[in-house]
Amino acid sequence: MKKLAGLKGKGNHLCFLIIAVLLAASPLLVSSTSMIQFLGKCMCFSIVAIALDLIWGYTGMLSLGHGIYFCLGGYGMAMYLRLRDNGGQLTDFMQTGGLEELPVFWRPFQHFPLALLFIILIPTVLAGAIGFFIFRSRIKGVYFSIITQALTWAAYSLFIANSKYTGGNNGITDFSSLLGSTRGPANRGNLLTLFWVTLLALILVYMLASFLVNRKFGKLLIAIRDGENRTFFSGYCVNNYKNFIYTLSAILAAIGGALYVNFNGSITPSQMTISYSITMVIWVAVGGRGTIIGAVIGAFFINLCEYNLSSGSLADIWQYIIGIIFCVTIVFFKGGIVGIFRDQIPALLKGRGKKKEVA
Amino acid sequence: MALMNTLFNGLSLSSIYLLVALGLAVTFGLMGVINMAHGEFVMIGAYVTFITQEIIGGNGSVAYLLSILVAFLTTFVLGCILEKVLITRLYGRKIDSLLATWGISLILQQAARSIFGSQGVNVNAPAFLKSGLTIGGCTFAYNRIFIIGLVIVWLLTVWLLMNKTSFGAKMRATMQNRAMAQCMGINSKKIDCITFGIGSGLAGVAGCSIALLGSVDSTVGQNYIVYSFMTVVLGGVGNLIGTVIGAMIIGFSSIFVEAYQSASIARAIVLLIIIVFLQFKPKGLFVIRSRSLDEE
Amino acid sequence: MSKTNENVLNIKHVSVIFDGFKALTDVDIQVKRHSIHFFIGPNGAGKTTLLDIICAKTKPTSGTVHYYPKGREDIRLTGMKEYKIVNEGVGRKFQVPSVFVELTVFENMVLSLKGHKGVWESIFYKVSKADKEQIMEVLKKVGLQDRIDIQAGSLAHGEKQWLEIAMQLVQKPEIIMLDEPAAGMGKPETFKTGELLKEIKKECTIIVVEHDMDFVKQIADTVTVLHEGKVLMEGNISDVLADRTVQAVYLGRGGERNAEDQ
Repeated sequence: MKKLAGLKGKGNHLCFLIIAVLLAASPLLVSSTSMIQFLGKCMCFSIVAIALDLIWGYTGMLSLGHGIYFCLGGYGMAMYLRLRDNGGQLTDFMQTGGLEELPVFWRPFQHFPLALLFIILIPTVLAGAIGFFIFRSRIKGVYFSIITQALTWAAYSLFIANSKYTGGNNGITDFSSLLGSTRGPANRGNLLTLFWVTLLALILVYMLASFLVNRKFGKLLIAIRDGENRTFFSGYCVNNYKNFIYTLSAILAAIGGALYVNFNGSITPSQMTISYSITMVIWVAVGGRGTIIGAVIGAFFINLCEYNLSSGSLADIWQYIIGIIFCVTIVFFKGGIVGIFRDQIPALLKGRGKKKEVA
Repeated sequence: MALMNTLFNGLSLSSIYLLVALGLAVTFGLMGVINMAHGEFVMIGAYVTFITQEIIGGNGSVAYLLSILVAFLTTFVLGCILEKVLITRLYGRKIDSLLATWGISLILQQAARSIFGSQGVNVNAPAFLKSGLTIGGCTFAYNRIFIIGLVIVWLLTVWLLMNKTSFGAKMRATMQNRAMAQCMGINSKKIDCITFGIGSGLAGVAGCSIALLGSVDSTVGQNYIVYSFMTVVLGGVGNLIGTVIGAMIIGFSSIFVEAYQSASIARAIVLLIIIVFLQFKPKGLFVIRSRSLDEE
Repeated sequence: MSKTNENVLNIKHVSVIFDGFKALTDVDIQVKRHSIHFFIGPNGAGKTTLLDIICAKTKPTSGTVHYYPKGREDIRLTGMKEYKIVNEGVGRKFQVPSVFVELTVFENMVLSLKGHKGVWESIFYKVSKADKEQIMEVLKKVGLQDRIDIQAGSLAHGEKQWLEIAMQLVQKPEIIMLDEPAAGMGKPETFKTGELLKEIKKECTIIVVEHDMDFVKQIADTVTVLHEGKVLMEGNISDVLADRTVQAVYLGRGGERNAEDQ
């Protein structure tokens, strides 16, 4: 029994190893710049999916607002890159908005170390504060989801409304990546370095998450999911645990966002909408909640489908497909893709074996 | 005078939120199902109003009144189908029902775009709602007064249905103790289905009213859904009076804040106020205290 | 001041009102160290509410609960946080078996061990040899030593009850409170549970809420009878059984139920 459990864990890691090797080798196999950029984005999405899986799949708290943290990371990086590219001058939207000098909260983003610090610090403080209040008043289950959804709506409104500070609907555009331009064959080196750095980040995040969930800490997250009151009466301050994992998850999402803008070259508030936040949940649900590898698989699977289907004549159908995939997954395949391999297929084989015996 | 106007606008906005929230008070409040497609049922109600008007034509009065009935029936039937096909498999899995209905919401939005295009369509306000009532320099638009009247009518109807009819008694019995209700010979599956249908039907009616206020497109429901969920949570889940007061608080505070700030900032401020409020009353204004051990 | 008190728990003038309904009225109870103390009474008598008060799940409208841990200062439990009370050595088993169904029996036990309850500690904690021995020892007591790798959710009902008792024991509590530990168990299992509790009594004090009178007779040291939120009487089991009022309000009904069973 124990051996089997160990084997399963190893199977997951093996699976991730294969994905990582394939990704590392992909620049050698694929020449298309847009494809490399796309795979780069998928790795960022995987990081966000892992972040979401930690709080939803493991701890049972469904956040409908991780778009906020993704965007906070994304905007932070975009602000730095934008200022770097235009030499610390006012951006076009600031000029349109009638600003005379750089807003105070933009200034730290002129310097790379400070920018990095704030990319981490802002989500930490925000998530920590939100978590503190929400968990203190024991808001949980669907109420947690509804409140995070409302927060997302509020944050989105604020970003849209303050266009002279945030670029409004258009967000922040027109900047190259941390390593400079990644367009065209001449800059392929930049793109590949960026790609491998992101892969490294994904591997580190995967290792961190796997480490955490395999410790006593991870068992406790599951305990909170299955019986929060029981966990209290086992002598744990559940609020601290929830707040810790929620904040950590926010930080990881922000890192995903910060890396993402390097590939995307822009960031807009549409990535912090409720709808986009739920899209992230879809990745986790389809891949398989409650397993780290599931989050990675889900992010790649859904985005690969979207990449191939959402352009051209199939664009209209894509929304139907994703809607149906999602409903079917939730109703019939609670464990997602990982669950199909872990539960459904073995059950099927077993069933067939039994039938043979009878025959 | 300005105050009069502000108060009227507040009342009007509250009535709209209440109309959308009324359906949620039934599906979420009574049944505990988070229907993320509720906003899309509102949208369907609005489109049904548009279609009815296109078919019947004329100055729109008859068509509009008729469309309220058609919208209710359409969304009622769709709600029943949704319950039978999807929700019924997910009782006891609240978060999963939230996610699955989100999938439905994606499908319905895309369907609306495929059929009506992404451009909004406009519903002609019927003749009798076109102007407004002017009292001492204040104009009260008839369509807004109409919506206020409508929400009162629906509120009374829902209350009577729940508290004064045998169906209502069966409904409450089922929601409180399914097993026991079944033992008493109540067909709880049928009750679930009809209750969910009624909640969805109310969304359709809300759609009719919203169609009067502006153009209708595939995302029209999304604009109301966040506030409506907050209305139900703020009022205390499962409490009709709470929902009314919740809607009033949100409606009035939005209008008052908007007097000083832009609409987007007002939205953020109001949501923050509610969240802070929930710190002190995590279960909303009106709590139904139960002695049972564990939540959900 | 540290009393080398023979009482371990002192419930003083506790009243609870839920929206006008008096769940408990002026309840005074002392619980003796190393005893098995039963709260019995008909449904709605306030037994579970009383346990909720002790472990701070419910706040009393008035009154206090004091706890006298061995060799330490006494502690006022009223107003403390639930998890802190647990860490002070007062454990609680709920009516519905509530083990962590997705975790194995062993993992359930590890989570219940005394100490390292903080976030950082739990990240860097490793099961030591001593911890493992302790867990195995307790599991042996409840007879689950062969099932450590089974998912707790797939245990039989009675086994879940025992696992939960084991989870209480491994925290080395001074008091454990059990809400209907024999519910849903057959006669032999109930008897086995009773013998187990007698064994445990050497290490800590046990407070039990239970309906099964045979079980009460088997192990009770002291019995407090609650009725409509008030203490009707207190004494050893034979006094209680002989009392006229108790017979009228409770045992009479219990008797009927037993008759139905047969």
